[in-house]
Amino acid sequence: MRTEGYLPLRDYAAIGDGRTCALVGRDGFVDWLCLPNVDSPPVFDRILDAGGGCLELSPRGPFEAERRYRPGTNVLETTFRTADGAVRVTDAMTFHDRESLSPLRELVRIVDGLEGRVALGWTFRPRLDFGRRKLRVREQEGLIVAADGSDAFALSSWNAGDGRFELSAGERSTLALTHAHMEPLVLPARDDAERRVEEAAAFWARWSGRLEYDGPWRDAVVRSALALKLLAFSPSGCIVAAPTTSLPERIGGDRNWDYRFGWLRDGAYTLRALLSLGCVDEARAFFWWQMHATRTTEPEVRPLYCVDGGIRTEEVELRLPGYRGSRPVRVGNLAAEQLQLDTYGPLLETTWRFWTKTGSLGAARPREIAALADFVSSEWRRPDAGIWESRGEPRHYVLSKAMCWTALDRADRLADEGVLPRRDAWRAAAEEIRGWIEEDGWDEARGSYGCAPGEDDIDASLLAMALCAYADARDGRFAATIERIRHELARGPYLYRFSGAETIEGAFVTCSFWLVDALARAGRTEEATTLMDELVAAANDVGLYAEEVDPATGEFLGNLPQGLVHLALVNAAVSLADGDDPE
Amino acid sequence: MILGALAGGLVGTVVLTSGSRLAQHLGWTRMDIPLLLGTIFTPERGRATVIGYAIHFANGLVFALAYGLIFEATDRAGWLFGMLLGAVHGLFAGGGLLNVLLPVVHPRMGKPWTDARSAPVLEPPGFLLSNYGRATLAATFALHLVYGALVGLFASL
Repeated sequence: MRTEGYLPLRDYAAIGDGRTCALVGRDGFVDWLCLPNVDSPPVFDRILDAGGGCLELSPRGPFEAERRYRPGTNVLETTFRTADGAVRVTDAMTFHDRESLSPLRELVRIVDGLEGRVALGWTFRPRLDFGRRKLRVREQEGLIVAADGSDAFALSSWNAGDGRFELSAGERSTLALTHAHMEPLVLPARDDAERRVEEAAAFWARWSGRLEYDGPWRDAVVRSALALKLLAFSPSGCIVAAPTTSLPERIGGDRNWDYRFGWLRDGAYTLRALLSLGCVDEARAFFWWQMHATRTTEPEVRPLYCVDGGIRTEEVELRLPGYRGSRPVRVGNLAAEQLQLDTYGPLLETTWRFWTKTGSLGAARPREIAALADFVSSEWRRPDAGIWESRGEPRHYVLSKAMCWTALDRADRLADEGVLPRRDAWRAAAEEIRGWIEEDGWDEARGSYGCAPGEDDIDASLLAMALCAYADARDGRFAATIERIRHELARGPYLYRFSGAETIEGAFVTCSFWLVDALARAGRTEEATTLMDELVAAANDVGLYAEEVDPATGEFLGNLPQGLVHLALVNAAVSLADGDDPE
Repeated sequence: MILGALAGGLVGTVVLTSGSRLAQHLGWTRMDIPLLLGTIFTPERGRATVIGYAIHFANGLVFALAYGLIFEATDRAGWLFGMLLGAVHGLFAGGGLLNVLLPVVHPRMGKPWTDARSAPVLEPPGFLLSNYGRATLAATFALHLVYGALVGLFASL
């Protein structure tokens, strides 16, 4: 099952509590968990170092594993079958409890004997901050406590021996990992820990039961919504791109990035998905986070911010082996320093969408929104790093200009509504940008929009021109661009991001869902439906996606679960369900 | 002198509480006094923190009153004398109050006589508060020195 100690990324499922996420392997190992928050240092980091921290709970000897989320929840159930019987492991992160004093963070693993008698083992191997902080481990009264400075971890076990035990049908064993940060440890009673798992399951089922989507691919849409809810950092409303860092875009490659931040670019897709599903509270919280975060840097905005809205994103390379030798392992993200003009389009689109839905600007101040649009109208001519955050020379990306158009168009519309002060310069600049795109951004020789003027490349991100209002999906030029993207970048249902990407990374799953969305908007429903079916079938066994896929093998690549993919899935399904009027 | 001591107690408690929080942020200790005090009365974290802060500030004033009475009785006050009292206070807080008395009165903390009928959930301080981090005792002692000095200083003004 494992290669050199590493599990295929497809074999991970995620559990979480609205503050952090754990990755649980199909073989019973919790291999990734940052505490107390999703952007904190990990205590389990085995996905990046086979000798790293983990919490194992699995049968001793050969077994087969089958798993699922309990319907409508983020509570994971893995059934292990051995020659001697079967057990079910239920994994969940629990919530703040009002009945009893609850730990700051808690991960509970419950084993129920189903058939026969199964020999199991567990190992608690904490490693804090990639081993940069040394934990003092002590055992006391059936507990293992590991502590350093402001952090402490305790593993409580009940009916699970000291690491080896046997379980018969009808018996139950439980492990609870608790974490304290800047406070004393809270050590749970068994009943309380088990009750909190059921309460967590009940909450998730209630939450998903309220989703307002009855269209096709409902199971996939609900699972995506649950995955997005896992990625939401509840204290602020931010939704992280993924809860992991440095899972590689190519095995052995160096395109390994830290995604434990909120990207403004994802905002437009986030708002549309959340509002389409009836998640108004989450949409409002995300919008507030976005406005709160950008206030520190406006009118210039960074592509990404910390979950608390901060800007401490310095990138550091760690001396770790990396997933299957994919180095470097990075924490922090240098892309925060880049000029990415395409960020402004989604930001203003989000504002527009929020205002049209709620009739309010929420936390946003008209003066600040206007300052963003002023910045775009004066700076759109600059080259930038683009949507893919290129670390090479800045270029004049056509998509970046199109998103600048979107930003100014939305600002102008908000001015029409009397929400923003009127600036004639916005409409004038928008028209100038459109002229630039249709003149310089159109590649006459190849009959499509190009990645950047004077370059031969094609880029799948151009599909977003139709998703963020710049282009009409039925327009001839856009239709021709779709065809060129499919011709040059498609491998089966998958799309590479740009020309030549196949030599450096996998196919980018989000782009495939964007293609579905664009086809749906173009009225090409049959093609869109066929592609959607193929893509929904390409999720892993519990319905999650990583950022990329190797089209040849179906192997997952990149960080996971990836929010942008799940957002794109929801939006594609909504567009298909809405038919000719996807907005 | 009493009123001055009470004013010093208020300022000193603010400094002590802030210093304690800073020590938590710096990773010197996991001792969270408001949470420890508040969870005596409620398991709900938010309410416990508010109650804990209120109790801690009340304690700060009660101890300041005691300092003031000592200043009155000895007819002397000043930051150095206050700091001396703070040292005694710090040793009492670290060595007896938090170490011995808190687990005894805390319904959610284990004690030597806790039996099968109850299940304590809150980590006890351990010998000389060492369970909450090795620097806990030193930080507690140092912060009480500052508290005492401030009470003494204000009482002498």
